[in-house]
Amino acid sequence: MADDVRRHRLRRLALFAVIAAIQFIVFEAALRTWGSSEAAPAFQGLFANDAVIGYRLKPGAQVRFATADFDTQISINSTGVRDDEEIGDKPPDERRILVLGDSLVLSVQVPFQQTFCELLEQRLNRTASRVHYRVINAGVQGYGPVHELLFFRSLLPVVKPDVIIETLFVGNDIEDAVATQALLQGSPRPITETMREATTTRLRRIVRRSMVLQVLRVRALAATARFTRTAGPPEPPLQSYAAQPAPRIARGLNVIHRVVQQIEAEGRAAGARTAVMLMPARFQVNDVDYANLREVVEQAGGQLIRDAATQRIDQALEDLPVARFDALPALRAAGADVFFISTVHLTPHGHEVVAEAVEQFLRGSRLLDGF
Amino acid sequence: MVFNSLHFVWFFVVVYALYRVLPHRAQNWLLLIASYYFYAAWDWRFLALLMASTLVDYTCGIILDRTEAPRRRRIILCLSLGFNLTMLAFFKYFNFFADNLHAMFGALGWRLDFVTVRVLLPVGISFYTFVTMSYVIDVYRREIRPTRDLVDFGVFVAYFPHLVAGPILRASRLLTQIDAPRRISREQLRDGAWLIAWGFFQKIFVADNLASLANMVFDPATHQTGVNVMLGTYAFAFQIYGDFAGYSNIARGTSKLMGIELIENFRFPYLVRSPQAFWRHWHISLSTWLRDYLYIPLGGNRGSEARTRRNLLITMILGGLWHGAAWTFVLWGVYQGVLLIAYRAGDPVRWFHAWLNGSGAAARVTSWFVMWHLTCYGWLIFRARSARQLGSMTANLLADFSPRSVNVEALLVPLVMYTAPLLIVHVCEAIYDNVLIVPRLPVGVRYSVYAATFYLTMLFGNFGGAEFIYFQF
Repeated sequence: MADDVRRHRLRRLALFAVIAAIQFIVFEAALRTWGSSEAAPAFQGLFANDAVIGYRLKPGAQVRFATADFDTQISINSTGVRDDEEIGDKPPDERRILVLGDSLVLSVQVPFQQTFCELLEQRLNRTASRVHYRVINAGVQGYGPVHELLFFRSLLPVVKPDVIIETLFVGNDIEDAVATQALLQGSPRPITETMREATTTRLRRIVRRSMVLQVLRVRALAATARFTRTAGPPEPPLQSYAAQPAPRIARGLNVIHRVVQQIEAEGRAAGARTAVMLMPARFQVNDVDYANLREVVEQAGGQLIRDAATQRIDQALEDLPVARFDALPALRAAGADVFFISTVHLTPHGHEVVAEAVEQFLRGSRLLDGF
Repeated sequence: MVFNSLHFVWFFVVVYALYRVLPHRAQNWLLLIASYYFYAAWDWRFLALLMASTLVDYTCGIILDRTEAPRRRRIILCLSLGFNLTMLAFFKYFNFFADNLHAMFGALGWRLDFVTVRVLLPVGISFYTFVTMSYVIDVYRREIRPTRDLVDFGVFVAYFPHLVAGPILRASRLLTQIDAPRRISREQLRDGAWLIAWGFFQKIFVADNLASLANMVFDPATHQTGVNVMLGTYAFAFQIYGDFAGYSNIARGTSKLMGIELIENFRFPYLVRSPQAFWRHWHISLSTWLRDYLYIPLGGNRGSEARTRRNLLITMILGGLWHGAAWTFVLWGVYQGVLLIAYRAGDPVRWFHAWLNGSGAAARVTSWFVMWHLTCYGWLIFRARSARQLGSMTANLLADFSPRSVNVEALLVPLVMYTAPLLIVHVCEAIYDNVLIVPRLPVGVRYSVYAATFYLTMLFGNFGGAEFIYFQF
């Protein structure tokens, strides 16, 4: 009797597993056909593991990324930066501007020709000059300042830049800097950690191949984060902009200071000049976004100061010998359509605005003088 | 604490684990403490209000039972109702009347400064005052005997699954279940689990995803053509249904897991073919409350046709005002009253009713189509932020209805995507006339629905943790 019940239950379980598996395949196929998130395996194919940084753009990757807002072909060259051409040897009359940053620099939402890096290159070469400028887009999705320093070190001997622009996305780079500061230590890691990472990497590869698993992973991460948060008192979001920020924000600013200092020092040793560009978050430009976020933060018991993160990073870098440029005034003056509605990234118009503003900054700050 | 939060998950896991091992009396104590904690999680200050309401009506119930003199009984009833209605009027309608007073005197050029206080609305006050009022009225009518157990009565008023957004329960149904030891059957566990899963699906997949569509169309800063106003209103119709029915289902499901049955609050209300039927299928606990404690005491349909119409109108206006202190809710109540009156109307429209209620497929589809759009126009009134917005959206519906201007990508496709699975289950429930038909389907079909519900919720659900719309009522 008990065996019958067990067999019956096992049969039911098997039936449910089969149905769930069939539906998994159906949803997977549907998402692959009509899906358009960054969880898409095609998009994830842009990335490869990196022993030092964790991951980087996969050299030679060719990906088409399509959503309701855009449809873009993305090409990564053999150096691992977004470019249709190889970096190659540096001709005597070429001056190279290396733009470091995160997704706001990489800009998978717009075709390569419409990224602000490419537009800047065209602008700089428009006027007759004995030198030819090459602007290299070294942005990588999800990178923070520490990743950018490590990536810069790998690019420096290959690119041989004359000017380095470290683009700091003020919206999350302070938090990113805190989260990744351990990478700055550079000390050898214990074998157990390396093994754990290898297992995690294998699992991640499996998950990355499935869009259904990718989304479920995102849900699980969000739930874990919420459970972790409930262990302590809740903290209002957007700490980089808070009137009374958490202590880690000061730590993050210190990390950013060290990163920029090292980029400047290593760049100077290689004969390059360094500048910092501060890229604002969308709500700093879009009033509706700002009103919504202010309400969310106030409901959580905090107070949002719209440009606090920009001012904090700017002040933190004051004592360094680097020119600083804030893209906020130009973007704010250009209107709300400089950012996409569905993502926090720049629209083609936003890229034009930034390219023009950076050109004026480069010429005005005399960073290009003497070339 | 909202049902779609991890705070609630923790809360329920702990409460349920204890509930399953405790004896009956201890279970009631646990439910009372848990319900007060659940309520205090919003704002502990209003817990005193809930306790005061409980004590007043518990005491009134006992005194009413002991009192024989009709005049004294009426006085006690009036005291109880006066207390509840004053509390409701002050906390729910004070700001509304103060603002309108300011506006009225401002229009006459007088500036009033004496009303400067802003009153916070305690969550669920409309629900629990209706629960306690129905109890005292039932005791007054001698339809039920009052309970002598304050803990049982406290649980009846504050029982956390229905405390903040209903269903509005009667003592004859809930108090008896609290009073008696409970047994939890396998069927209750299965149905309860399904109701919770389906409730989350309705909230997270349907309501919260459609909210952005409705918000876009009802944004006063944008101009929408008539066809897009129509689609936005459809979106809101399914949003409010998914939101409220979702809450009710989670409430019923959690309660079933504890062996306590709550009433059905929704029975596929968008498939009905008349205004009367709509109110028998939508927010059933409120509509029956209004019928039993307002419409019938007013005289119901026992007098002349004019008197019946008056009673319908008063009932629906107060029903509209129950939803919130705003003129659009009053207007929505008037609209619903007029629909009910028109449905009862004489010759000019009777032939139309007769045809609509005919048994032919064409008549059935047409009457459903007409009723669906009448319902939706009601939701347009309900959702509009002001009379001006209502006027401009109505004008767009009538004068700027260009099907070519339909926003396919941002409105039509998501609307179909987020409502189709709900409608399939909705139709299935209507065919079998059973809102719990899914757990009774053949095993293969049932498992397919379970798996699809899981995948759709997890892959496409909006996990922003938005509050339920009916909390504000």
